[in-house]
Amino acid sequence: MKQKKTQKKTAGRPQRRTVTIRGNVNGTRISSRILEEQIQQAVSDGAQKLHIVADGQHGIGGRIWPRDEAVTITVEGPVGQRLGSMGMPGTEIVVRGSVSDDVGWINCGARITVLGDVTNGAHNAGAQGILYVQGGGGARCDTMMKYNPRFEPPQSWYFRDVGDSFAEFKAGGIAVICGVNPRNPENVIGYRPCVGMVGGTIYFRGASQGYSERDVKLADLTPQDWQWLTTHMKDFLKAIDREDYREELSRSPDEWKKLVALTPAEKGSWKKVKMAMPDFRKSHWYEKVGEGGIFAEYITHDQTILPYITTGENRRNRPVWNNEKYLPPCAYHCPTQIPSHKRASLIRQGKMKEALDLVLQYSPLPATVCGQICPNLCMQSCTRGAFDKPLNIKEFGSLALKQPPPKQAKKTGYTIAVIGGGPAGLSAAWQLGLKGHSVDLYEAEKKLGGKLELCIPRERLSNKVLRKELSRFQEVGVTVHLGKKINLETFEKIARDHDIVVVACGAHQPRTIKFPGSQHALSAIDFLKGINFGEDFSLEKKEVVVIGAGNVGMDVALQAYNCGATSVTAVDVQKPAAFGNEMEMAQEKGTRILWPRFTEKYDKKAQKIHFTDGTSLDADIVIISIGEIPILDFLPPSIHTEKGWIVVNELGQTSDIKVYAIGDATKPGLVTHAIGQGRIAADVIHAQLMQYDYMHEVRQVVPYERIKTEYYDLCRFDVFEPKKEANLCMSCATCRDCHMCEETCYWEAISRIEHEDGSYEYIVDEEKCIGCGFCAGICPCGVWEMAENV
Amino acid sequence: MESAGLLDGNHQLSLKEFPYIIRWRDDRCKRCGNCTAVCPVKAIEPTVKIQRSVSSEGPVPEPAAKKRILHIVEQVKDINRYCTGCATCTLVCPNEAIEPEFNPQHKFLHFKNRGGDSYKRGGRRNDPALSTLERLKFTRISMLTDPALDAGRHEFRIRTLLGRNLSEETLPLETRDGKLFVRKDELFVPPVREIYPIMIGSMSIGALSPPMWEGLAMGVAYLNEVENMPVVMCSGEGGMPPRLLKSPYLKYFILQIASGYFGWDEIIHALPYMVEDPCAIEIKYGQGAKPGDGGLLMSYKVLKLIAGIRGVPLNVDLASPPTHQTKYSIEEAVAKMIQSMSMAWGFRVPVFPKISGSKTARAVLNNLARNPYAAALSIDGEDGGTGAAYNVSLDKMGHPLAANIRDCYLDLVRQGKQNELPLIAAGGVGKRGNLAANAAALIMLGASAVSIGKYVMQSTAECFGDEYNRCNLCNTGRCPRGITTQDPKLYRRLDPDRIADRVVQVFRSADTEMRKIFAPMGRSTELPIGMSDGLSIDDKAMAERLKIDHAC
Repeated sequence: MKQKKTQKKTAGRPQRRTVTIRGNVNGTRISSRILEEQIQQAVSDGAQKLHIVADGQHGIGGRIWPRDEAVTITVEGPVGQRLGSMGMPGTEIVVRGSVSDDVGWINCGARITVLGDVTNGAHNAGAQGILYVQGGGGARCDTMMKYNPRFEPPQSWYFRDVGDSFAEFKAGGIAVICGVNPRNPENVIGYRPCVGMVGGTIYFRGASQGYSERDVKLADLTPQDWQWLTTHMKDFLKAIDREDYREELSRSPDEWKKLVALTPAEKGSWKKVKMAMPDFRKSHWYEKVGEGGIFAEYITHDQTILPYITTGENRRNRPVWNNEKYLPPCAYHCPTQIPSHKRASLIRQGKMKEALDLVLQYSPLPATVCGQICPNLCMQSCTRGAFDKPLNIKEFGSLALKQPPPKQAKKTGYTIAVIGGGPAGLSAAWQLGLKGHSVDLYEAEKKLGGKLELCIPRERLSNKVLRKELSRFQEVGVTVHLGKKINLETFEKIARDHDIVVVACGAHQPRTIKFPGSQHALSAIDFLKGINFGEDFSLEKKEVVVIGAGNVGMDVALQAYNCGATSVTAVDVQKPAAFGNEMEMAQEKGTRILWPRFTEKYDKKAQKIHFTDGTSLDADIVIISIGEIPILDFLPPSIHTEKGWIVVNELGQTSDIKVYAIGDATKPGLVTHAIGQGRIAADVIHAQLMQYDYMHEVRQVVPYERIKTEYYDLCRFDVFEPKKEANLCMSCATCRDCHMCEETCYWEAISRIEHEDGSYEYIVDEEKCIGCGFCAGICPCGVWEMAENV
Repeated sequence: MESAGLLDGNHQLSLKEFPYIIRWRDDRCKRCGNCTAVCPVKAIEPTVKIQRSVSSEGPVPEPAAKKRILHIVEQVKDINRYCTGCATCTLVCPNEAIEPEFNPQHKFLHFKNRGGDSYKRGGRRNDPALSTLERLKFTRISMLTDPALDAGRHEFRIRTLLGRNLSEETLPLETRDGKLFVRKDELFVPPVREIYPIMIGSMSIGALSPPMWEGLAMGVAYLNEVENMPVVMCSGEGGMPPRLLKSPYLKYFILQIASGYFGWDEIIHALPYMVEDPCAIEIKYGQGAKPGDGGLLMSYKVLKLIAGIRGVPLNVDLASPPTHQTKYSIEEAVAKMIQSMSMAWGFRVPVFPKISGSKTARAVLNNLARNPYAAALSIDGEDGGTGAAYNVSLDKMGHPLAANIRDCYLDLVRQGKQNELPLIAAGGVGKRGNLAANAAALIMLGASAVSIGKYVMQSTAECFGDEYNRCNLCNTGRCPRGITTQDPKLYRRLDPDRIADRVVQVFRSADTEMRKIFAPMGRSTELPIGMSDGLSIDDKAMAERLKIDHAC
């Protein structure tokens, strides 16, 4: 080889002559490397025309670096792959026949004319230069074509047609497919061309069967296109020796189409939608399944979209101003149901008289009961109690002592008999009197007050207070018949003479138990009554045992000490039921409580009481305090009793429509229970007489957590001042008109309206409210409540 | 009677017991109430707090107490109103003032049995660890050894066959004048459908809200009609509205029959009016989310629409028993149901059973292999989702999918029937969002198709649910997204067009990803079912179990 080179050099510069290089010398094929060396040598030696007789060599005619003059290479014989690859400007190659794959690979400016067909991958990655093809192209021609703005764009001309996958990833350059005598008349641009094509233009003439729609679009030729095409067509046809087709190919731009790459913007929109979903829904879905979709027949609501935050009927929850829907714990737990929260509210408003009057609407004896002897369940349950200490409702009760009675209603003309002047009877008579009925009150004893008068130690209940309230009671026009014991006969007469009879006879028959020596025991009621009536029970140096450690037992113990007893022991079979003031006072005096103790016998002689567990106590006096049952011998059989008690419902109605029963005659309870029953029975009787339906109001208690105690200061003052105290009331479940909700609502949906009668209400603008529950969450009184919005 | 508030912390749960803790920022909140208005479980509520501080600004101690009343948004410490972490509050908060935070120390399950009621929920197995599916890798990449394909350029046929795919010799076919004819003789030609290998699994009308179900259905129709992707969807148990039954789109739907037989009278009534056969019939015997447990639609979801479609009273709990009644053996159960369902459509529709992943799956498969009318076997693995199930069933019952599918496939191979009886894999496909990868892995382990459910909820309707038990309120009818509720106030939050659009996007994207997986492995025209030499896993034991390569 070296020899050859040397030979050529020594042969002198081959000036402007045609150098012929053979790929096969004497039947021996020379390698592609040698042929390449010979070509490069010839060119560097100054050859401008090369004639190559190829024998399948690779890459013929490429890489001839530009020089002053052009180099023309004609090739004949079977050529190998990549003819003219990396071809440079100034190189012109003409192949007299067909070529193998990848002709013009990364063409950088060579003009390559193939007077035959090109196979696969023609002009692959060509960036500049021209490829003229007299025949057609194989698969994957014009792929990866480039356009570098420093140069003219590359051109690829195919006289016939091209194969499949044409112009994939084409980024630039112009391809022309003339469609003359195509191998596949149905499709001159092959199957699925232009995948990934991002630039350049393809002009073609003839039928096509689609292209990559996500990459390119089909368009008609513009005048500029046509101008370019017809202009450059001349050179092409001349080069491939087909000038006689010029007229046919230049006939009309209408025979041509072009494919150009989609712009990035067009591609973006293609990716998003082939057909907008709403269009599909209307034109396909509704068309086939019916207007409104597959569920339309089952759905009644609008098929619009709702936001997450909704108002009006689309809210999930709505606030309700439930003023007084629930009872505050005080009123709920008060058997008399005295609305202490309302009393406090009136006092806060400076309406002291109205406040005290309100209480008298519920009880004739607030100072006696609330203020003195009641265990004040209201205070025990007061919301404030968990916070600091309960509202002093006891003192509020006492405040009413001097309050004159409320105004009576107009006389109704109905007459009512109340049997019994104890708390229950007093309550019923008071209520009925206030409602305008004529009431006859029959009391067996000489004094009104029942057990308040008879049994409760004066130490616990000031008789002055009781007297004062009883005198007010008598101002409501109740006719009191004292010392009037009722028997069956008088009962029937009373029943005949009155529209309604209320039995409130209390329980005055001591219950007793039998054990050896029980005949020597006293009963609690006799003992207590005796003391209050001034009987002398001297218990000096006596040891007293009380059987039964309830609150009455405690009163007995208290009184026993008052009578001089040295010791009082209360025994019970179970955990003592005594509580509150009674128990405290008795224990202060020294009362011992023992349980469980079952009495075996009382040995009067030895003054010892024995219990079944073998223990015993010294007992000069034994008092049995296990309760009382009513004496009902005056009742006709039409009024049912059970186990010694009158059977009533929660309204005090007995088995006789004319007869009501309340208080201890129906079951043992606190004084406040008796007063509450008296009031309810009076309301029911009133409704019955006035002929309207009585609606028994059962309200639930407001849960503690609904009251926002956080708003309040801890209270540290001890002296009772009504106004200050009233201010402490948290107004559970009752609006205190503080505007907190109105102020808090971000959506300004809450406003306060005042009615003509002076009452007010907080209302919600449904179209503004989103149902967030802030009003309910922050309402100091727990009045606002969230309800499901159905 | 007790004094008010005698007790304070007694028997109260602390926030640390709860699975999600609400982080609320006073400094950002404007008290608009958006969060409390949307909270599906009322886990947060506005309330009042007091702040008190004492300052002393003078040169000597001069205490001055100050109190400040605050309106705040507070998390409720009631286990029945536990924060599910759905973060709808965060979604609607204009000020980014509120957010639930996962509490890894929670003791939720210790307490979510108050009243003796076991915890029920929706969603899928709460296990955020990597599943076997996620650990499978595609390791046989054709570089120069095989003609590598280009996912972007090459045309792919990602299709699978649903139905008994008999070989040419066993079919009564003959060629006359170059044309193929079916011989008229006794031999049965099983119906076979060419479908996309990812299908939307059985989620019932009832479990899903109307816009959700219709959105999915519309998306499926679009994929078929516009995108030319034969994606099919299974009805779930609970029937279908007659409008769809009588439409030509029925061919894109697999009708499910389950043990409750809900909605089947409507389907049968619609039969004479059907213009197309359904794609197939799925007989549900089990569900991966709650194997051995029946279907359950809670009463608060049985409103007018559902009662109408299913033919049941309003507001009742609808249970599908765990087993089909009146079937006393596997032989009878499968044969009887397949016969009946095939007969309903004149043996023109493929009928296949769906079972939950189980060690017994191979026995079922063995049975099906001998039943010429069985069209496939669908296996729903332990990671399958549900609208309502006991937590214990969801978390602890079931069989992982990969080994189950693999065992079944290898059994078929042993019988030479691997191309005959397709396996459909379901349960946890796309659990971590890798839909195409999970699908491709299952296909290469031996599944002919996969079925997706939870993934669709998450990707098309932004379902909040995850494996940290976020949200998972599907059973309560209070789905904050509107996906699994029958309350119009909630489900009208969903735009069916958007759902359908997302279905299309999800499938197009998965299709691209499937190409990205299959092309480098040199497969384009046939689904690489059982091409397990392309798979590896980084765990030796798993590799041995699955009979695949171990690579690390």
